[in-house]
Amino acid sequence: MVKFYQQKYAYDYSWGTVSFAFMNRYPNPFATHVLTADTIDHRIDAKTGELHIVRLLRKTNSVPRWAKGIMRGNEAYILEEIVVDAQGNRMVAKTRNITHTRLMKVEEKQTLCADPADNSRTLCKNETSILSNIGYGLNSKIENFSLSRFSDNIAKSRKGMLYVLDLAHRKGLIRARVIADKQEQ
Amino acid sequence: MDSIGDECTPLKHEYDACFNKWYSEKFLNGDSTNECLAVFKKYQACVKKVLQDKGLTKMITDARPAIGSTFGDDQEAK
Repeated sequence: MVKFYQQKYAYDYSWGTVSFAFMNRYPNPFATHVLTADTIDHRIDAKTGELHIVRLLRKTNSVPRWAKGIMRGNEAYILEEIVVDAQGNRMVAKTRNITHTRLMKVEEKQTLCADPADNSRTLCKNETSILSNIGYGLNSKIENFSLSRFSDNIAKSRKGMLYVLDLAHRKGLIRARVIADKQEQ
Repeated sequence: MDSIGDECTPLKHEYDACFNKWYSEKFLNGDSTNECLAVFKKYQACVKKVLQDKGLTKMITDARPAIGSTFGDDQEAK
């Protein structure tokens, strides 16, 4: 059985700024479990002009005590695919775990769009799906554990994003786009 | 942030710097010329070797087409 969760929120930064920060969200003090991040593919779709990025993230695994016996290894690998449509001011990022998949499959999809009513703001939709198929009566335990962690994780990743957004903003890394945004207004 | 392979970290940083400049100054303003290709190729080759040594290549190749498949709906999942 697959469980789905969804959450929506907004950032008070332009889409260009938010999408830039998303690409640069590691490291940050709220994601110390992320050890390494590598871009393994980078291409531009010749037809659509969309940017396609694939990244491999390596994380430490913090699991509850009852799960330690069924999870081998302290590290987890996550694959992330990001598609950026700069014309449409839209970024879609999807992740999936590629290790410990016998225990569970967790996928996340984040959609970042410029707010059509106010282009100094960015709308974010976070969707998560959790599939557990280990059996032994552990499925609901695993899914409930994941559910309780779901909102925690979103809150943490949001704090991390705000940290990176502030940093990028202060460093002027996104000057070009900010100026362009102002000219449009 | 470091690379999965220590030996690839300098190349990763070089690529990241190129990417960020290109993304914010060019790509977001409508120019989609892939300017960081040369450094990316070098970085990619370095990581590829590390992934092979760690036995992760097949896992990644197998998982790639399926990312996001539980959400079904959209065209990006190709």
